[in-house]
Parts: sequence; structure tokens; C-alpha cells
Amino acid sequence: MVGGAMVEILLFFLGASLILYIVLGGADYGAGILELLPAGRLRDEQRSVINKAMGPVWEANHMWLILMVVILFMGFPPVFLTLMVHLHIPMVALLVGIVLRGSAFTFRHYDAIQSEPSQTWYSRIFGFSSLWTAIWIGVIAGGLERGLIDPQQRTFWGLYIAPWFGVFPLAVAAFTVAIFVFLAAVFLIGESSNQDLKRRFATLGLIANVAVVVMGGVVFLVADQQGLPLLATFIASPGSLTAMVLATALFFLVWRYAHSSRAIVVRLCAAAQIGLILVGWIIASSGEIIRTAQGPINFYASAAPEATLWQLTLALCVGSLLIFPSLIFLFRTFKGHLG
Amino acid sequence: MEDLLAARLTMAFSLGFHIVFASVGMIMPFFMSTAHYLYLRRGDREYLELTKLWMKGVAILFAVGAVSGTVLSFELGLLWPGFMKYAGPIIGMPFSWEGTAFFLEAIALGLFLYGWKGMHRWVHWGSGLMVGITGFASGVFVVAANGWMNSPAGFDWVNGEAINIDPVAAMFNDAWLHQMLHMQVAAAQAVGFCAAGIHAFLLLKNRSSSLHRRALKIALTFGAVASIMQLFVGHFVAQRVAELQPIKLAAMEGHFETQRYAPLYIGGIPNTELGVMEWGIAIPGGLSFLAFDSFEAEVKGLNDFPRDEWPPVVIVHIAFQVMVAIGGLLALISLAYFYLARRPALPRRFLQLLVLTAPLGFIAIESGWIVTEVGRQPWIIYGFLKTKDALTPMPGMQYHFYLFLVLYLFLSLMTIWLFKRQIEVAEMRIDREHGRGRDG
Repeated sequence: MVGGAMVEILLFFLGASLILYIVLGGADYGAGILELLPAGRLRDEQRSVINKAMGPVWEANHMWLILMVVILFMGFPPVFLTLMVHLHIPMVALLVGIVLRGSAFTFRHYDAIQSEPSQTWYSRIFGFSSLWTAIWIGVIAGGLERGLIDPQQRTFWGLYIAPWFGVFPLAVAAFTVAIFVFLAAVFLIGESSNQDLKRRFATLGLIANVAVVVMGGVVFLVADQQGLPLLATFIASPGSLTAMVLATALFFLVWRYAHSSRAIVVRLCAAAQIGLILVGWIIASSGEIIRTAQGPINFYASAAPEATLWQLTLALCVGSLLIFPSLIFLFRTFKGHLG
Repeated sequence: MEDLLAARLTMAFSLGFHIVFASVGMIMPFFMSTAHYLYLRRGDREYLELTKLWMKGVAILFAVGAVSGTVLSFELGLLWPGFMKYAGPIIGMPFSWEGTAFFLEAIALGLFLYGWKGMHRWVHWGSGLMVGITGFASGVFVVAANGWMNSPAGFDWVNGEAINIDPVAAMFNDAWLHQMLHMQVAAAQAVGFCAAGIHAFLLLKNRSSSLHRRALKIALTFGAVASIMQLFVGHFVAQRVAELQPIKLAAMEGHFETQRYAPLYIGGIPNTELGVMEWGIAIPGGLSFLAFDSFEAEVKGLNDFPRDEWPPVVIVHIAFQVMVAIGGLLALISLAYFYLARRPALPRRFLQLLVLTAPLGFIAIESGWIVTEVGRQPWIIYGFLKTKDALTPMPGMQYHFYLFLVLYLFLSLMTIWLFKRQIEVAEMRIDREHGRGRDG
């Protein structure tokens, strides 16, 4: 029973890391994607706002992903192994994107000679690798939900491609891209002092918010068409239904405050909206996020021995005591002007 | 290319690439904080300039280190699921602490890089120092995990399954201490000598630059102290390996016949067909003495082990010789430095020597990891699980290898190019401020 409680604590950390990665890290990817859109005379200003906004925090935001990987391979090895074996290809694609995105962003900022054409090239790589990574995050999420991971297949296609290749993962990828752009645009409103740029971010944020809603609908539709009872599971669970209703309600607040001077309000609303969507997904899956042809992988059944769970829980609790105050200090130092 | 070979090469290349950036991330912040401290204490703006110069280096290298480290954490599962199945629960603990330290490092770095305005100056200085401390701690944890692969502990192996798992015992395995000391000191050597070499190069171009003189002094002091320490640490490591992994020691030394008064070979190529060392200079009893503090001690030779458990002897031996030769050379240069440092200026010849030795510390680190990792083959968990049994079932690993080969080569070239530009611009600024040309 102690083991079960610890699994729940670990799942809480896993879910929290996922939400923080998507909300904070996702905004960083979204900023890269935003740079791909034509910005005309605002291009350089936008670039410098994004440099300034992301610079101090992107590496910390990226750490949530590392934390998820560590929790999975230490606490739930079968889950980690299933992902790494059957989603090998999208994972590699994801890593290439992560490497290029981080490097290009840093190189752009720390190139001693800030001139063309190198700045344009860094920006292009930063933009395209951000989009690329966002797409693969979505494909992986779609692959988890889709239930085509099947270790009993015999062919290369069946084992390593079919689990993630198809319309549903693509729909989730488009949904993910919309989420990231939405978060980035809304977060960037408050980072800019240029009124034109603020308006641009606010407009883009609202368009992306519509895209989030539309793509979310498309994901449910495609799921339904492919025989995945996604909508039914969401509605069946009161928790996830509440989360969805709240997320939708926040829609109005985001629209109400997008153009106002209170950047922090719209920022929190956007973060809460996306966080709630994820909470809904996590609750609906009830600890069975990863589905295979043989049925969902149960986190309780795949948990490591108790001694390991103890150590992992300890590390996460002590780690939180160190990380959260530091993180709050970091955000207060650089994002304090918003509040 | 076979999948096993491709996966091993991918892992070797990923680690070999990452270790350079990780070493800099662990050590360079201490140089930076030293310069920053001197600026805050003495108010000399040249130290501020130096701090910022090094800070930019740290920023670039940390970013590449962080993303290549992310790749590694995935690759453990992507390439070696058969290993992680056992290793995750047993040795995940240092990784969880490493994750914590790494997280704190990223936060501290963000604060330091962007906190020049708006933070209390000593808190800001502290954040820079924290980058070093947490980076160093990350290194300690990761090397402890590697130590477990060489000296597994904290579980019972029953019918091919690990039971009675004790993560604490696994983390504090018999190899963690010596491997950790060896690596952390080596990182200080490599980064110290590399930075010193770069500043020596610039000092040769502009002998009057006090910035480069001061930079060289800070970097080389770290590098030289570490190089002297490494003589003792290295000896301790050899003794531990002799005890824990006799076959690895035998491969390192090209030692075939179990014997007392075992000779130590300098140079030479082991001939694994005939089981003899060729072309080496033998020091009678040297190996017995180094490994066990006694000329009479018996040292186990490769012939005592089944042939299919031999690591690739030639590679391990050559890599070991390269590492030891560099270690010896750097220690000699360090002694020379302590002698020469009393003079008002370092001689031209010595600066030229430092330029030549700039990459050596990193070559020694790479060689050392080849000794550790190749020397552990064919095992992935020494004595329990073979590398070939840990490989992913997915075919086509060569494409994974080529992909990361191209990616990392590209990033290496980019990093070198960026450093070149940083240094050029810094030089131009120094020249301008001193109102003189490049030749002084």
C-alpha cells in the first residue's frame, strides 16, 4: 500500500513536469515558430524581444523534460522502454530538433559578430527546429494515445512505424503547434514595450487560441473516426469534464484581456487553459496514458521496486525544495516587471 | 555496419562529444567566478571584461552540453533498452540527483547570464559560483552511475533478474569514488590547460595584454594544481582497477601472463595472437609495484580469462598509454609553471608550449573514457550483462549513428567558429582600448 501511495506521488510529479514542460517549454518552442511568420519591419525588434524573454529561462524550462525522462526510467522502466523501443524514430526526430533549437538560439545570441547572413541563418534554424520539435512532441503524444504500440508485431513497419504514423498523431501534432504558438504569443505580449509588437502578439495569440479550439475539435473528430473513444473518456470522467469546461471558460477571459495592459492576467489565463487541457487528459486516462495493442500500460503494475521508489520520491521532494525557490527567484528576477 | 557496432559507436560518439562540453560546464564557471570575485573586490574593470569573456564561452558551451546531455538520457533507452530494464531501478538514483543538480545549474546560469542589472552584485556573483558547484555535482552523480557499470552493487542476480535492489549501495559502488575523483580532476586539467593555451596564443600576439596574462594565470593555476593532484589520483585509480577489474588492467597494460614481478611496458603494441607485447620498453616489476605496491605481487594476465571476455586489447592499451603520457607531460609543465610563475613574465617558449598543449587535456579525457568503456567490453554491466544482450531490437542503427555523427560534427565546427569570432572581437576591443596595433 505504501508502494501505491508512492506511485501516486511520482505520477503527480510526472504530470506536473509534463504540464510545466508543455506550458513553459512549449512557449519557448512557440516563440521560434512565431519567428517563421512574416513580421515585416518588426522582425528585428521581435527577435530581440524573444532573445530577452527566453534567454534567462529556456534552459530551466527544458529541464522538465529531463525530469520526466528520469522519473520514467528510474520509476517505471517498462513504460520508458516501450516508448524508447517503439517510438524510436519520433524520439530521434525530437532529439535532433531539441539539439538544433537550443544551439541555434544560443549561437544567435552569443555570436560576437551580430551581422547578416549568420543571424538570419540562426533564426531560420531556430524557427524550423522549433516547429519540427513541436510536431514530434505532438506525434509522440498521439502515438501514446492511439494504442497501436504492439510488441507482438513481426514487421519493421508494425513494430516501429505504425505506432506513430497516421492521421491521428498528425492531428495531435497540429494541435500541439497551435498550443505552443498560442502560449508564446500571449506570453510575449508583456515582454515587449513596442505597441505595434504588442498588438501583433495579441492578435496572433487570439488567432492561435481559435486554432487551439479548432484543432482540439479536430483531434476529437479524428479520434472518433478512427474508433478511439477519446471524447467518451473525457466526458465519462467528472474531473476531466470539469477541466475542459474550465478551459473553455478561460477562453473568454483571454479574449477580454488580450489587448489590455495587464499582461499577467492573460498570461496566467493562457497557462491555466493549456494546463487544464492536460489535466483533463491525464485524469481521463486514469494512470494509463500509454496504450498498446495489448491494452494500456498500467503505471502501478510497471513501478520499480519499493526501495527505488523511495529514493526517487526522496530525490524529487528534496529536489523540489531546492528547485522551486530557485525557480521562483529566477522568474521574479526576470519576469517581475509583469506583476 | 552491424547494429551492435553502430549503437556502440553512436554511444561512444555521443559521450565523447558531450564530455567536452560537460567538462567546460563543470570547470569554467569557477574561473569565471574567480575573475568576477577579483573584479568585485578590487574594482579593476579588466577582471570584469575577463568575466564576461569567459561567461560567453560558458553560455555557448553549456547550451550545447545541455542539449547533447538530453540526447544521452534518451539514448540510454533508445540504444540499450536491455540495459535500462535493469539499470533504471538500480542506478537511477544518481541520475535523479544529477537531474536536480542540472536543473539548479540551468537556473543559476540564467540568473548569472542575464542578472548583471537588477540583482544584488554578490547574489549575482553567487549565482555564477552556483553554476560551477551544481555542474560539478552533476558530474559526480553521473560518474557514480558509470562506476556502477564497472563495479555493480546493490542487487542480487537471481535467474537473470535483479532482486533485492538497494539504490544507495548501487550509487556508492566500489568504483564511484576513484572514477569520480579521476574525472573531476581531469576536467580541471583539460579546461585549465585549454583556456591557458588560448590565452597564451593571444598573449603571444600581444605581449602587453594584462587581460590575457591574468586569464592565463587563473586558468593555469587550476590546471596545474589539478595536474599535480592527478598523479596521486591516477595511481589510486590504477590500484582500484587492479583489484576490481583485473582483466581491464591487464588490457590497459598489455599484460598476458599471470606473474609475479610483472613488468610495466612503456609504449608497445600488444599482439593478441601470440600473447606478447611488441616494441614496448619493459620495466621489470613495475606493474606489480604500481598495482599492488610490491614488486613481488602477482598480477593477473589476460591468459587467465576466457578469450570471449577480453576487451579489445590493442585499443585499450593505446588509449591508456596516450592518457598516461599526457598526464605525465601536463604534470611536468605544471611544475615548470610553478617555477616560472615567480618571474615577472612567462618566457616566450613556455607560452608557445602552452599553445601546443591546449587540446591535450581533452585528448586525455577521451582516451581515459575509451579505457573505461572499451575496457569494460564485452560487458555493459560488468560480469552480469553483455553489451550485445542490451541492444535495442530495432534494426538500422547505422542511420542513427550517421545522423548524430553529422549533427555533432556540424555543431563542433560551429562552436569552434563561434569561439574564433568571440576571440577576434575581444582582441579588437583590447587593441582599441590600449590604442595600439596587434603586434604591441
